[in-house]
Amino acid sequence: MLELLVYLLCGGILASGLLAVRLKSLLAASVSAGLASLFAAVCYLLLGAPDVAMTEASIGSGLSTIIFLYAIHKTRNARE
Amino acid sequence: MAAAVLIFFGIGFGVLRLALGPTVIDRIAAVDALTIVSISTMALYALVAERFIYLDAALVYGVLSFLAVLAVARYLERGL
Repeated sequence: MLELLVYLLCGGILASGLLAVRLKSLLAASVSAGLASLFAAVCYLLLGAPDVAMTEASIGSGLSTIIFLYAIHKTRNARE
Repeated sequence: MAAAVLIFFGIGFGVLRLALGPTVIDRIAAVDALTIVSISTMALYALVAERFIYLDAALVYGVLSFLAVLAVARYLERGL
């Protein structure tokens, strides 16, 4: 039961990582990368490391998405 | 058990909408829904494993999870 949920979350990490590589829109790709980090955080928690899950959720999924958005905004203004 | 089945279907259909979604808005809504499903997964696992330290990770993620969607919405509105 729990193993099935871990396998489903690992499949979600794979799917969102592939989408982050394949998507054309930069915004959707960065959001999808944040989703991969979110699934990794839940996977850490299910495998028994709640402190790692807390750090991964706050930094990987929250902060890095915002930094990616900021970088996309800056470089789009510079290109035009 | 029923909650685990609902979480299975939630993650499955959420990833499906993330993969198929024609516009960026669909993908962002799918990521937001998957965030809430992930928080419920953490809460369910805290109940199953009877270790309530896991609720702290769910709490931190619930406090921080709206920031990414808020940043994306602000980026779409008028650019961060």
